[in-house]
Order: sequence, then structure tokens, then C-alpha cells
Amino acid sequence: MQGGSSGIGYGLKYQARCISDVKADTDYTSFLTGTLSLKEENEVHLLRLSSGGSELICEGLFSHPNEIWDLASCPFDQRIFSTVFSTGESYGAAIWQIPELYGQLNSPQLERVASLDAHVGKINCVLWWPSGRCDKLISMDEQNIFLWSLDCSNKSAEVLSKDSAGMLHSLSGGAWDPHDVNAVAATGESSVQFWDLRTMKKVNSIERAHVRGVDYNPKREHILITAEDESGIHVWDLRKAKAPVQELPGHTHWTWAVKCNPEYDGLILSAGTDSAVNLWYASASSTNNKAPESPVESTRERVNLLLNSYTDYEDSVYGLAWSSREPWVFASLSYDGRVVIESVKPFLPRL
Amino acid sequence: MATEAAPMDEKAKRMRDLLSSFYTPDPSISTPTSSISTSFDNINGPSFDADQYMDLMIKKSNLDVLLQRHVQMAAEIKNLDTDLQMLVYENYNKFISATDTIKRMKSNIFGMEGNMDQLLHKIMSVQSRSDGVNTSLFEKREHIEKLHRTRNLLRKVQFIYDLPARLQKCIKSEAYGDAVRFYTGAMPILKVYGDTSFKDCRRASEEAIETIIKNLQTKLFSDSESIQARAEAAVLLKQLDVPVDSLKDKLLEKLEQSLDGLQINPDEASKLAEHNVSSKDEESNNQGPAKIHEDAVRGFSEAMRAYREIFPDSEERLFKLARALTTTHFENMELYIRKRVSAADFLGIFRIIWEDVVLMDEVLPEAALSDLSAEAAQVTLKQFVARTFSHLQQDISDTLLKFDINQKEVVDGEVLKVVLEASGKAVLQGTTDIFQEFRQLLDENTGIFVKMNDLLIDWIQKGFQDFFRSLESHFLVLSGKTSSSNETEGLVEGKSSEKIHAGLILVLAQLSVVIEQKVIPRIAEEITASFSGGNSQAFIPGELCRVFHAASEKLLQHYIDTRTQKISNVLRKRFKTPNWVKHKEPREVHMYVDMLLQQLEEVGKEVKQILPQGTFRKHKRSDSNGSNTTTSSRSTTLHSDKMARSNSQRARSQLFETHLAKLFKQKVEIFTKVEFTQESVVTTTVKLCLKSLQEYVRLQTFNRSGFQQIQLDIQFLKAPLKETVEDEAAIDFLLDEVIVAASERCLDVTPLEPPILDKLIQAKLAKSKEHNNNNNKTTVSS
Repeated sequence: MQGGSSGIGYGLKYQARCISDVKADTDYTSFLTGTLSLKEENEVHLLRLSSGGSELICEGLFSHPNEIWDLASCPFDQRIFSTVFSTGESYGAAIWQIPELYGQLNSPQLERVASLDAHVGKINCVLWWPSGRCDKLISMDEQNIFLWSLDCSNKSAEVLSKDSAGMLHSLSGGAWDPHDVNAVAATGESSVQFWDLRTMKKVNSIERAHVRGVDYNPKREHILITAEDESGIHVWDLRKAKAPVQELPGHTHWTWAVKCNPEYDGLILSAGTDSAVNLWYASASSTNNKAPESPVESTRERVNLLLNSYTDYEDSVYGLAWSSREPWVFASLSYDGRVVIESVKPFLPRL
Repeated sequence: MATEAAPMDEKAKRMRDLLSSFYTPDPSISTPTSSISTSFDNINGPSFDADQYMDLMIKKSNLDVLLQRHVQMAAEIKNLDTDLQMLVYENYNKFISATDTIKRMKSNIFGMEGNMDQLLHKIMSVQSRSDGVNTSLFEKREHIEKLHRTRNLLRKVQFIYDLPARLQKCIKSEAYGDAVRFYTGAMPILKVYGDTSFKDCRRASEEAIETIIKNLQTKLFSDSESIQARAEAAVLLKQLDVPVDSLKDKLLEKLEQSLDGLQINPDEASKLAEHNVSSKDEESNNQGPAKIHEDAVRGFSEAMRAYREIFPDSEERLFKLARALTTTHFENMELYIRKRVSAADFLGIFRIIWEDVVLMDEVLPEAALSDLSAEAAQVTLKQFVARTFSHLQQDISDTLLKFDINQKEVVDGEVLKVVLEASGKAVLQGTTDIFQEFRQLLDENTGIFVKMNDLLIDWIQKGFQDFFRSLESHFLVLSGKTSSSNETEGLVEGKSSEKIHAGLILVLAQLSVVIEQKVIPRIAEEITASFSGGNSQAFIPGELCRVFHAASEKLLQHYIDTRTQKISNVLRKRFKTPNWVKHKEPREVHMYVDMLLQQLEEVGKEVKQILPQGTFRKHKRSDSNGSNTTTSSRSTTLHSDKMARSNSQRARSQLFETHLAKLFKQKVEIFTKVEFTQESVVTTTVKLCLKSLQEYVRLQTFNRSGFQQIQLDIQFLKAPLKETVEDEAAIDFLLDEVIVAASERCLDVTPLEPPILDKLIQAKLAKSKEHNNNNNKTTVSS
């Protein structure tokens, strides 16, 4: 196992769950992360990887009114991001803007662009339009899914449409299909569900219990990856959603998050509560011809699928993000507030 | 003169040479002694030159020598003269005597002419007399000849008239050969005059012939007749221009039909095999079906032999028939072994078939039946090996699934143990039995088997290899770990996987260990012991051991996964349902703790039945699997800060203590490698559950009462968990972690006072005891 010496670390003051790649920043590899502290003053950190790639610099530190459960950077404006926060008793979601000239201010305040305040229950996540400049947003709470239209200049957001998943499903997270902007996947209690945003109706579902994380493969259409509590990682082809096309063993305890690399097809990163981040390679060819394999071969293959396991963490890892600017770099965030940037380059097979 | 010259040998020889050279035309051949070197001084040589000789002589010799030479020469010349004279006299004498002889002959021949004339005269008179006799007897002779011809004709007519009667007589005496000969002899006449003079006669004889044909046919068809007789009948029929081919077809068809009777009916095959075996033991019991079958086949081959002799051109058909019989034999065999068949039975049938083949092969060696059957036998044998293995696998999986009907009983009783023992035995016994059966096959020394021995060994080894491999994947499918490759099936498997009892997975895991440690080495041993000569390397025990080792670990992990998944569900419900921010003050230990303990107890029970007890170790750090979770120092200090601000002094100090203690505690490894011991499995399960508990807690936000409830529950769990678990330090640590997580997620951390905590726990214990007494059922024992 790798000792972790290659990773670049950065410590947050408090515990934290979420980290996001700043996709719109084309000049630097930067990440946004927010703390999760019930009683203390929470912070949003803007981190930048130095040009040499050897240091992680805190480019900005902003106070945030509540503990942050979810954070997502706007794909077209590096200064805008969304958070889902909780006061402990109630939840809220908002779009924030980092103030200009924030470096010169002593304690810069975030500007609230808009509040996504149509929710009543526990809000899970805010999803940005997957690519390009579009002012559409999705927010999810345990029962409802909202499509918003954001107007940055007027600092307002309005609900375009909504649908209720029903009481029983208790949604927990989701992902927006980068290949089909009308499709959104949401993880629920017993299944992964798919919405068509045009009709705002549920169109499909994968019956799979306890899915924690979900991510679309940005390189291949119809391929979805799920992370599940006990049963590891599954790769699905949405055209035949009855059985997974591939199965990865996942983590010793729960597999919490799973992310596809934005550039290299088949490269998957997963984070788990066993304080480890695993790098997998689920090759496209093996995804296609899985059927004729004998069980033994697939077992052997499964062993080889794990490229590396990063285990230099002190606590469960919840936050995970690939850099879209340098796609061989990823940031991970363990619960104790430690951000670690690692490069997967040494472990890539023939890339 | 030669006799006379005996003393003067040298001289006589020279003389003769000279004379002969005189008569001989070619002097070089007659006088080989003369040579060019001596030519000058050799007076006798043909190329002798007197002048040269003289010159040489005068030059070379002195006077004395010359004189001496002269004297010698003069003497020689004189000698030569007398010799010549004598020769002339001798020749003259001979001439005179020849003249005398010729004179005598002339006088003898002179009287012969008169005798010759006399002889000629007498011969002439003899000739004239014999001519006289000839002419006088001519007429009479002509008459006699005519009479003779008439008589012959009459006899033929008589024969034809007699033909019907004669034929009848022949029919009576069954001398069909004569009859046919007669008939064919009369045929040309009947053909020419049949319509006129001999009408009746012809009709009658034809009738007779018809009966003859009929008789011949019946004779041909009747099996009781000797082959010789039947062959003769066939030949006769052919002579009578009866269409024999159609007859042949009919016969062969009959033969074909008789094939059905010869087939080994798969349903009755076992009976046949049994009797075959038993009839070998008791010779008296000859009426067994095997014997009947053997006789039938013998009859069949005899028939074939007969037909072959009768109809030499029918070989192809017969080949076809024999081949068809062989093929159907093997086809039936295949049908037969589709059911379970012991090697002995298999061999029994095989022997019967082989005997049949040998019988037929004797009759028709050209049909290459042995090759055909060798090929078919290979296929069948291979199938038999494969089937035997698949039966074994079926057996094992049946044993595994047979018991797993009522899940309640499984947990409480010793059912799992029984299943494990039964299935372990099934595997061990099954493989050994199979091996013994194959030994039987190998020991068999029927023709084909000897040839196939190497192949068979190869198949057996390969069979074992494949068997174990497929057994492993079968285990995985049974455990629900892997859905079978087919995707639609995968769905079905996926559904049923939830029904798969966790105990079964545990049994499978342990069974894999048994296979790895006992069965495979044993088979490997037997194989090396038995096939030491063979060079086939299809069976690789090392690889199989690895496979099963991996499988056992995978299955054990899967067992723990399924178990923790169940517990996770309990926990999830527990944490999802209440509103923790508005939690009411804790009144008692929450129910879910009971469920949790009950689940763990089930695990304990199952594990106890299946797995061996491990050596008790407190806490291992040697074989850690990956990293561990320790408290993060910052969060602890943070927490201590928080604590400092907390208002309840006593509670604060209590919590503070736990945190401080943790700071100094060793790094505790949570995710250690699972071992095949009761303790290890239980410990791992408990660890995973507590970790899940911690994660669930981290997702919630608690008010004071909520936190206190968690505190109470955890406090209660401490004692029973420590009791069940090997690694107390880790459990302590994890339980503390849960409390820490709860305190971190709590809006107002005020721990319960220890007395209250104690009181509530005691109340719970009392209640559970009462519950035990009331229901007579164990739920929690503490």
C-alpha cells in the first residue's frame, strides 16, 4: 500500500464533508471546501494547487453562516457556488458569490446570490447544469426535486418545475447526466430513480437498496456508477438496468462516494468509511464483454481492477473530487477536515 | 615316334612343336614360346633370318664354338630327315588300308535293289484289299448310326415326358439340386416346343418347379436350416432365375427388424448390468437377461455371417446394419448414463456392448466396427466422466440445500453443523467414491479401455480440475455472491439472493476450507499414487487450493457482509425514524439494542456451529488489513474545548476523561483480516456494526436528550459486546467513537449522570430477565 507521502495535505479547522472542483477556473487547479461544525463559525475555503503542484494554497477563506452538508461550484463562473446547510434543526440551500477583490479584505463576506428556499425537509444536494453556461439548477430534498432558473444579475432564483418522489423514497443524493441534460438520477432508500426534466416525471429506476453515491460516466453514454453501503460499487448500463454490468468490491466498510474521471474512461475513484480512497480501473472492454467470462477469470480481473488504495487518512472520507483541469489530480476530504490532493499518474495503466 | 623318343625328351618335344607349327596356319598361336628377344638365335622361330643368324654367330663366337655348333647342327638336320621319312611311311600305310575298306563296301550294297521292289509290290496288294472291305461294310454302318441317333432323340423325349414325375420325386426326396439341374437341362427344349408338343409336360414341370421354388424360399428363410443348405437354396434359386435380390432385401429387412430386439433399452440397462455382474458369479444362472442378450447378439452375428456367405454382394448392407447396431448401442448407453449410473453398471453395459462388437467384428472385420466403437466409446466414456462429476456437484448442492428450509430452526438447532458435516462428507466421500469408480474403469481391461487408458487418466484429472472449479463458482452462485453469467438469470438470482440464508454462506465458506485442506490434497495424493506413470498435468492441486482459499475468504467476507447488512437495516430504521433534534428524555434503553444483540447472538450461534474456536488473543496488530481509524487529535481537542464550555461539571469531566484516555490509547485497528475462527468472525461483525452505528450517528443532529439516549444505549451495549468479542480494546474504542460522534453532532452536550445511567441499565436488565422468564426464550443474556 502506498504510504501517502505523495499527497499534498491541507487542514481545515473543523470537520468537513464536502469538496468541489472549481471547474470554471481555467488558470489554476482549485477546489472549494466547506466545514461542518454544528456550533462553531463555519468556513468555506478556496484552495489552489500551486503551479508546481507541490503546495496547496488557501486562496480565500470565507465565513459561512451554517454547517455545510453539500457544496458545488458553478461550472461556468468560478466565483459562484452553491451550498446546502443546516442549522441543526432546519435545512437551507443557497447560491453564493465570492466577492471581488476578496484577497484585500480582511474578513471577506460571501454574497448570497439566491436562496433556494422552496424546500421544507432535509435538503440533500444542489446540482448544476452539467456543462456550459446555463442558469438551470436542481435541488433535492428527501421527497422533492426542484428545477430552478437562476438569475445572477437580479440575484433571484425561481422554481421552474418540481416533482415529488413520495414519502417512502427519501432521496439522498443525485447526479445530472452529462450526455442528456434532461435526465437526472437520484438515489433513494430502495432504488436509484431517473427523472426526465422536460416532463418532470420519473421515467426509470434501478432497484438497488442503500445507494450512497452515484455518478455518470462523462465519457460514455448510459453508464452509471453507484456506491453502496455494504455491497461495493456497481457499474450499470442504463439501457439494461436489470443487472449491473460490472461489480467492484468497494471498501471494507461502506463505500460513500464514487467519481468517474472526467477525461480517462474507466478510471473510478471511490471513498469509504474505512478511511481509504480506492482507485479503480473498470475498462470499457471488460464492461462490454463481461458475459462470456468464466467466474474465475472475472475474479482475477476484479483483483487487478484495484489500481491503488490511498490509506493515509485518519477518519472516514466523505469528500471526493477530480480536478477537471488536471484530470489526473483528485482532492479527497476526510471527516477530520483534512484535504489531501493526490496524483493518480503513477498508477495509471498504459495511459 | 613319341614313344620312341621318350629318353630324348627334349628333342621329341621340339619335334612335335615343329610339326604342329607346320600344320597350324597361325604360327603365333602354336608357338607361344617364340619371342622377339629370342628371334635372332631361335632357329625354330618363324621370323628366323639365316643370314642375320650367321652374322650374329660369327660375331659372337670363336671358332671352337662355331665348329661345335656346326657339328651339333649337322646332327640335328640328320635327325630331322629320318623323322620326316618315317612320317611319310606311316601316312602311306593308312591310305592303303582306306582304299581296301571302300572296295569291300561296294561289293555289299550291290544285292539290295531286288528286295526293295518285292516289298513295294506286297504293300500295294494290302491296300487294295482293305478298300474292298470298306466298301462292302459302308451301308450297314450308316444304318447303325441312324438308329443310334433316333435312340438318343427318343431318350430325350422320354426325359421330358418323365420330367414332372422326376421333379416330383426330387421334391419328395428334397434333392432340389438334381431337380434344378434336370429342369435347366430341359429348359431349351421346353422353350422351343413348349407351346406345341410338350404343352402338358411343360405345365406339369413348371408346377413342380414352382413348388420347388417355394420350398427353396422357405428353406432360405428358415433359420433352423444350416447355412450351407440355405446358401445352396439361394444358389439354386438364382439358377432358376428367381429374383434373389428382392429376397435378399426381405431377409435383410428382417434382420434389421431384429435389431430392435437387440438394443439395450436404457430403462432395462441397469437390470442387464446387474445380471451381467451376478451371472459372472453364479454360472448356474444362465437365464439372466444378459445371457439372453448375448445369445441374441450371437444369433444376429451368425445370421450376418450366413447372409454374408449367401449373398456375397450384401456386405455393404450388413456393414451398415452392424454399424447401426453399434451406434444405437452407444446412443442408448448415452441415454442410460444420463441417469445416475455407477461405474460398475457402466462397465457392465460397456462390456456387453464390447462383446457384441467383438462378435460382430469377427463376422465382419471389414466393417471396422472396433474403430467405430472405439470412437463412440471415447465419447461415451468422456461423457460418463463429465456426468459423474456433475452428479456429484448436484449431490453436494442438494445436501447443502436440503436442510435449509426453516430458518428459525437453523439458528437455534444444530442444523448448520449438520449441514456442514453432511456436505463435507458428501464432498469428501463423493470425490473418493468417484475416484474409486474411475479406478474401476482404469482397471478394466476390455479392449477399448486399455487403449483409452491414457486418455481416461487425462479426462479424470481434467474432470477433477473442472469439477472443483465449477464447484467453487457454484458455491459463489449459491451464496448469492455472484449472479450467474446470464443476465436475465442474474435478475432471478439477485432476487433469490435475499432469501439465501446467511448460515448457508457460512457453511459454504467453511466447506471451501475443508475442500482446500482435506479434499484436494487427498485427491491429489490419490492421483499421484494412481497415475504416477501418466504425464498428464491437467490436475493442478496448488491452483485449486488457491481458488478455494480465495473462495473461502470471499464467502466468509460475504457472510459478514450479509450479517452486517441485516444489522445495518436495523440501525438505519432506528436512526431514520425519530426526529433527534426533538428527542424526548431517555426513559429506557431503546429496543433496537435488543435487536442488535439478538442478531449478534445469531451470528455467534451460527459461527459456533461451523467455525473452529480460535486461540484467544487480545488484540492483534500483525495482520492488519489496511489502515485503521483512530481519533483525530484535533476533533478531540475541539471536543474538549466544547466540553470546557459545557455546564455540567461532572458529566463534562466524565466525557473529558474518555476523550483524554483516547488520546493516549494505542492506535486501534478496526479493519483487521478476518480469520476462520469463531471469535474473529464475531469480532469483525461487531466492529463493522459499531462503525456503521458511528456513521449513522454522524448523519444526525441531536438535542440533549437524543445524545443522552445514545449514551445510554451505548453504555448498555458495552457489557454484552465485550463478552462476545475477542478484541475488547477495539470495541471500547469504537463505542467511544460513537459517543464522540454523537457529542459532535449534539447541540447541547450534557451527558447523563452515572447514577441515572446505572439505574436505567439495571431497569433494562431486570426487564429483559423478566422477559426471559415470561417467554422462556433467550434474547439477551448478560
